[in-house]
Amino acid sequence: MTSIGTGYDLSNSVFSPDGRNFQVEYAVKAVENGGTAVGIRCKDGVVLAIEKIITSKLLKVGANKRISTVDRHVGVVSSGLVPDGRHFVARARDEASSWRKFYKAPISTAMLSNRLGAYVQAYTLYSSVRPFGVTSIIGGWDSEADIPVDGQVGNGPQVGAGGKVTDVKKGGPALYMIEPSGQYWGYYGAATGKGRQAAKAELEKLDLSPTGISLEEGVKEAARIIYVAHEDSKDKEFELEMTWISSLDGPTKGRHQEVPKELREEAERLAKKSLEGDDDDEEEEKTGEEKMEE
Amino acid sequence: MFRNNYDNDSVTFSPQGRIFQVEYAQEAVKQGSVVVGLVSKTHAVLAAVKRNAEELSSYQKKVIGIDDHYGIGLAGLASDARVLSNFMKQQSLASRMTYGRPIPIERIVNMIGDRAQTNTQHYGKRPYGVGLLVAGVDDLGPHLFDFQPSGMTYEMTACAIGARSQMARTYLERHLDEFQSSSREELIKHGLRALKETLPQDKELTVDNTSLAVIGLGDEAKGKIEPFKLFEGQPIAAWLETTFETQQGEREGAAEGESMEVDQ
Amino acid sequence: MNHFPQAWGRPRDDVYGAYNHSYLQMTGPKQHTQSPIVTGTSVLAIKFKDGVVIAADNLASYGSLARFTDVKRLRTFNDTTVVGFGGDVSDMQYLDRLLNSLDIEENYYPEGHRLNAQNLHTYLTKVMYKRRSDFNPLWNAILVAGLDGEEKPFLAYVDLLGTRYSSPSLATGFGAHLAQPVLREYVPDEKAAENLTQETAVEAIKKCMKVLFYRDARSLDKYSIAVITKEGVDLKEDEKLENQSWAFADRIRGYGAQVV
Repeated sequence: MTSIGTGYDLSNSVFSPDGRNFQVEYAVKAVENGGTAVGIRCKDGVVLAIEKIITSKLLKVGANKRISTVDRHVGVVSSGLVPDGRHFVARARDEASSWRKFYKAPISTAMLSNRLGAYVQAYTLYSSVRPFGVTSIIGGWDSEADIPVDGQVGNGPQVGAGGKVTDVKKGGPALYMIEPSGQYWGYYGAATGKGRQAAKAELEKLDLSPTGISLEEGVKEAARIIYVAHEDSKDKEFELEMTWISSLDGPTKGRHQEVPKELREEAERLAKKSLEGDDDDEEEEKTGEEKMEE
Repeated sequence: MFRNNYDNDSVTFSPQGRIFQVEYAQEAVKQGSVVVGLVSKTHAVLAAVKRNAEELSSYQKKVIGIDDHYGIGLAGLASDARVLSNFMKQQSLASRMTYGRPIPIERIVNMIGDRAQTNTQHYGKRPYGVGLLVAGVDDLGPHLFDFQPSGMTYEMTACAIGARSQMARTYLERHLDEFQSSSREELIKHGLRALKETLPQDKELTVDNTSLAVIGLGDEAKGKIEPFKLFEGQPIAAWLETTFETQQGEREGAAEGESMEVDQ
Repeated sequence: MNHFPQAWGRPRDDVYGAYNHSYLQMTGPKQHTQSPIVTGTSVLAIKFKDGVVIAADNLASYGSLARFTDVKRLRTFNDTTVVGFGGDVSDMQYLDRLLNSLDIEENYYPEGHRLNAQNLHTYLTKVMYKRRSDFNPLWNAILVAGLDGEEKPFLAYVDLLGTRYSSPSLATGFGAHLAQPVLREYVPDEKAAENLTQETAVEAIKKCMKVLFYRDARSLDKYSIAVITKEGVDLKEDEKLENQSWAFADRIRGYGAQVV
């Protein structure tokens, strides 16, 4: 990287002569060392998964959750500086609850992402703060049914439309990813962290169209992709954490929950099996991809 | 001459994405004397070495009880720990006041984690210069958490922080499988032995320089606990005696093998 | 018509004399709610050996007008507790949203530490007492029914003053006068509640709902009833009073002018 040490990279909110904000780029570096996180938007739900490197034998097994619930229907997973991720989640929760206080209804995943994008971006504007050292994946299921307004106690008029519009298609799965710059996009499949290149390559092979893979298949693919992305740092052990949000008639009833242990273990078993099968061609692909990055 | 320009404040990332001020704060933890913590299925134990400024002075405070159901052990800046412990006490009382419920350990740990994170992202603040081990009991059983100046918190089965704590961690790793099923007394002994590992050759654990705290699920029905209790001075004499008397013989034999692995 | 828009539509001074401003108190202390507006009537509950039965009718009155007839005044919390609201309906909705956000916050942590009925009642007590101390009360009388920390049946009351108490059977509003004596026949003390069966408890509540419909002019024959046990909450929101008999009515004397 040129112009490091020229003084334009010492403070946030300062442009270098060629128009870059170095502090944001350095924050991205913090993300690139984090455990791989992926999100998959399936036709009937969203899966979030993260690779947690076991840094010490003394860590309690299965504790130290990294995927957080923001509102009933939204989950967030971050890669990068873990405490920054917690700050991000705290803000997401505040946004979701203040939306509820104002509109008496759950926030849509798109609006939540928009607000968080604005929040993260604000941390690139001032020299008194530093940017977030995380890239966060936000997964949600926006209700497809008419849900009661918060605090609603009756049913409204029994005759006439009662202000309700029927037969409108709405809601569904949503997946967004926010970067340290505050930039965010909607995704069919998102990946960040150390193994993102390998993970992205795998995500691109999936059919994530509205008629594509189901949530349950998504869970298995997410597990497999984390295992594939981990290949490079094989020596380190890791734990897989996964959550999902299904449609209202699916297994989680529109709520963000941890993937049940049995299903997760089954997905891990399949992931390990598939790795044993095609170890060699996996390696080749990755070396090609890695060059593209820098 | 090389000078690191990226370490003046906690709002500057280095080109590698590191925050040096936070990393320096972690060093302050290593300056403090050691604290060891470990959990079994029924108990959590903290053990710490206290320093004194000079022979005639008193010893520092290493363990603070926060509420009936939990307490902390600290390594690093004691005054930062006091700020955090006051905050924890307030939150704990608030939980008992508003819900009639002892605050769940994970939640209070996350609260101080979030507070510490704020200090690493805003100019004019500095990271806390203290590491904590939080040991307590709640609905889900006994817990041990490690808190670091970065705002990072981990739930552990056993942990040691402070000067030369690597020695203790090595001991803990080696006996990790025994803790789960340990009795209260066995767990205390493991804690003291791990603590002993960190001492230089010429130093011993004494009733004056050792702090020990125990918290556990009570024998009685659900909801009853053995409250967090700090033992110092004469009350721990018996533990020190039984732990190291019986150990003496075994230690001579094991010493060689151990020192090879400990080396890092 | 004159050229002073602020006077348009007002009584003309030349016809009615100058307006007497002393009727419009512009000074004096700031005032919050002085009375409830849309109201729900009694909530009843009784403990039995395995849990609690709670009921409230589905009416929200606007003064003496039966304004809304499908109002659900029993609200479940985290599938283990039921909160029954009497009094102002909009304050009930506020509290419902408050409990909703509390439930969302509690579920940030997926494992353990669920707030039980006792925790929830303590919380509501603090909310109600805080608001009354601000001279801005939430105009409700509330019953909290569920299980306590030891999974024993729990039932307690809290109202707009922050007053709290507990008893094997409880009733708010009119029910405190008309239903409570009946319920006490079933459970005079905790001991009796420990021996009461679920069937008898439900029967007692239904009997009292009927008594209340007979004598409380702000009540309805459609009601909600919930049974809370270790297995969870069984809430029915569209029940109808059965086997009504108004035969006693023509013997009633004492309300207004008697013609006989």
